[in-house]
Amino acid sequence: MSPITRKSGFGVAQLLLFFSISILVIVVAVPVLLILFNAFWVDGEFNIGDVAKIIMEPDTYQALVNSLIIACGTTIGSTIVGTFFAWLVTRTDLPYKGFMKAMFLVPFMLPSFIGALAWKMLLSPNAGFINKFFINSLGFAGPIFNIYSYLGIVLVEVMYLFPFVFIQVCGALERMDPTLEESARISGAGLFTITRKITIPLVLPSILSGALLIMLYSMAHFGTVAVLGIENGIFNIPTLIYHKIHQSGGSFDSIRTGTVLATVLVVTAALIIWLQGKILRKGHYQIIGGKSFRPMELKLRALRVPLLALCLAYIGFTIVLPTAVIFLVGGLKTYGLAFTWENLSLNNYKFILFDYKVTRDAIWNSVTLGLSAAVITMFAGVMISYVIVKMKVRGKGILEFLGMLPFSVPGSVIALGVILAWSGKYGINLYNTVWIILVAYIARYMAFSLKANSAALEQVHDSLVEAARSCGATMWQSLRDIVLPLVRPGMLAAFFLIFLPSLRELTVSIMLYAPTTRTIGVAIYTLNEDGETVVSAALAGIALIIIIVGQSLINRFTRKAGT
Amino acid sequence: MGKGGKLLALLLVLAVSLGLAAGCGGDKKAATPAPAAGGKKLIIYTSMKESLIGGIVEGFKKKNPGIEVDYQSAGAGKLMAKIAAERQSGKILADIIWTSEVPDFYNMKKEGILEQYKTPVLKELLNPFADYDGYFTAARLGTLGIAVNTDKIKTPPAQWADLFKPEYKGAFGVADPALSGTAYMSVALLEKQFGWEFFDKLRANGARIGKGSGQVVDDTASGELAASLAVDYITNDKISKGAHIALYYPPELLLAPSPVAIFKGGQNLDAAKKFVDYLLGPEAQALIANEGTLSVRADVKSPAKFKLPDPADALKRSIKIDYVQMMATKETTIKKFTDTLQGKK
Repeated sequence: MSPITRKSGFGVAQLLLFFSISILVIVVAVPVLLILFNAFWVDGEFNIGDVAKIIMEPDTYQALVNSLIIACGTTIGSTIVGTFFAWLVTRTDLPYKGFMKAMFLVPFMLPSFIGALAWKMLLSPNAGFINKFFINSLGFAGPIFNIYSYLGIVLVEVMYLFPFVFIQVCGALERMDPTLEESARISGAGLFTITRKITIPLVLPSILSGALLIMLYSMAHFGTVAVLGIENGIFNIPTLIYHKIHQSGGSFDSIRTGTVLATVLVVTAALIIWLQGKILRKGHYQIIGGKSFRPMELKLRALRVPLLALCLAYIGFTIVLPTAVIFLVGGLKTYGLAFTWENLSLNNYKFILFDYKVTRDAIWNSVTLGLSAAVITMFAGVMISYVIVKMKVRGKGILEFLGMLPFSVPGSVIALGVILAWSGKYGINLYNTVWIILVAYIARYMAFSLKANSAALEQVHDSLVEAARSCGATMWQSLRDIVLPLVRPGMLAAFFLIFLPSLRELTVSIMLYAPTTRTIGVAIYTLNEDGETVVSAALAGIALIIIIVGQSLINRFTRKAGT
Repeated sequence: MGKGGKLLALLLVLAVSLGLAAGCGGDKKAATPAPAAGGKKLIIYTSMKESLIGGIVEGFKKKNPGIEVDYQSAGAGKLMAKIAAERQSGKILADIIWTSEVPDFYNMKKEGILEQYKTPVLKELLNPFADYDGYFTAARLGTLGIAVNTDKIKTPPAQWADLFKPEYKGAFGVADPALSGTAYMSVALLEKQFGWEFFDKLRANGARIGKGSGQVVDDTASGELAASLAVDYITNDKISKGAHIALYYPPELLLAPSPVAIFKGGQNLDAAKKFVDYLLGPEAQALIANEGTLSVRADVKSPAKFKLPDPADALKRSIKIDYVQMMATKETTIKKFTDTLQGKK
């Protein structure tokens, strides 16, 4: 290769690196830095005392405590539920295990704020359908459960978050080498000893890593607390940030409180990610690829039917019942009427799909935003991953560090950060336009794209390219015919990993929306806030249909592509 | 890094830019629904709900076939935030604003962004503003009453003090004044009339803060609340759909005028003036009255089924308040109200 081409090649590498770094700096690093800057610098001076003062304010302090209570409760609950069901579907002779496993993953698809809406309809103290049933038909004196409480919030979050643990533990239990257990059994250990000394230590890293994921998610989760908590004055960090920003119309004091709260979120998130990395590193020797073995199945005997009933009841109670309520309420003429044929119709559904501008706009916005964010983030993700995984340029370390950032920045932090960065202070004002949501989505979903694309790129061994080159292919040919086709599944995965969640996104867009730029999530939330309960339920129903159809199309599609 | 690597790199860069461009194309449509050439389209920002604004815009279009109209309906707070952002970037996109937050209008007048327009129909109207000077004109007289769930409350409330009775214990709701302009208005009016003692007593009887001004009504319809402080047309809309609620007005009437104003410097000034005249005319006012709220025309009566007070009479018996002062004390009033009802005081 002549020195000239080498030189220009180096130029392109630098260019790529430069592009990659600038994308990450602009969309992720700058917003986060601005939050930290605004939290700690007052009038150009570093002032940590002021930060402490803000944290000690009763409202803020309470929100921090609430976030912690809710996150811990949710984590513990989800871990128990997720581990139990994972064990049930992998290590016992429970009937219909395949179906059950698929059903336990359904809550992944359901947006938890829609779940919260459904549970509000079912269990609000005086009007919830379940509570009313107990009071009116069974003669109870008062409501059996008040969903507007810490316990209510935690239970709803557990219902929709436990799959994080479930899927991790399922994977670990399936991959675990059964000979370890067998040898213990041969040496005379009982089931209890085996479970305690072999199984649990082996699966523990997966359980903990799933639990930490839930903790991270719950700390920064807006929807459930917004729907169920605000009325009783239960705020967590994201809902308080939202409330402050909303109330103030942008006054500096509330934005500063927001930045301090966001800083706490960032620090907690970083801590959680660090812990998770540590646990996973420590546990890596334990995950053993014993894929040719079938683990021992515990015979449930007499418990088989009751446990099956328990699983079915759980699925019916957490998935079927809320979904049915959403669709039924969506069909009512007005909220509060009984579910009788004369009160039910498809009019609300027709109204939101064809006549109502707000919902039509919202659907259009969510779809275009989702598509744009997915396409942009997919390509940017390939480029950045390519630089990180395959290229050898100086300055790559910065990029690797920046690439870690999107994983640890919660949605409400990104939203606050883009408000600080893009509301005209630095020349460009995107606030109240659809662009600011797009920028925030790119930042929020970059992590998914990086993960999927670098996983795909890492599987492409350099020897494949070298083999092609030694057969006489040019670099370009080898890339086009070998690398790109191999990476394509990763790119597609990234696209869908971004497109589908963005359709139901609420945490980010609720902070950034303007009258013209509602997303589906925002429309459902604001319609509910406005007391259009039946219309918001109908829109939630439509959103569920879109999400479920989309997900099953993708499942079919990726299965085909995989074979 | 060879030639191919370069190409791939360039391709990727190109793809990203293309992706950006494609994204832009798609989104522009979403952001501003097909702006007509030269900004001839009349744009209205309003906090009126779909049921109210939709019919009025249709009627206006029918009368003025040459004028294109578009509207955005959202809470007053959101609209003001959007207008503030638009001002920062140099141009307010809307031609007309019509909400129920009277203090906002005094504010905008002070900041000089409103066009003065003394409508020729003014003398036919009921005018709640003593200092009227043409910068904004009331286009609707919103009333707030007590909405009760008819399954739960059998004796209709006759006065505000009835809310301290045991039947309302733990089951009376007021919308969050931080979210809803009308809720803030009613809190300020009630405080003016009865003092903070009124809210202390509400708290003692377990009154609750809800979310938006519509949600408390829906919660009343569902039975979650026995009663709520409710906006007229939202309640009447649900009553006409069959909800088990009824709306009652104590003697001290809560009246929230909804002013309409034209922004200065718009390119559609003539069309905007036409719209304001239409909105204040008998046809649009009849539409307003038919939605279950009060017209600003004494000659347009609301249908009898709503049992609304007579507009002129309502204006007379309403609680009066100084809007300019109300604007200044907004934050403290809301904070005090929230603290009182949540028992943090």
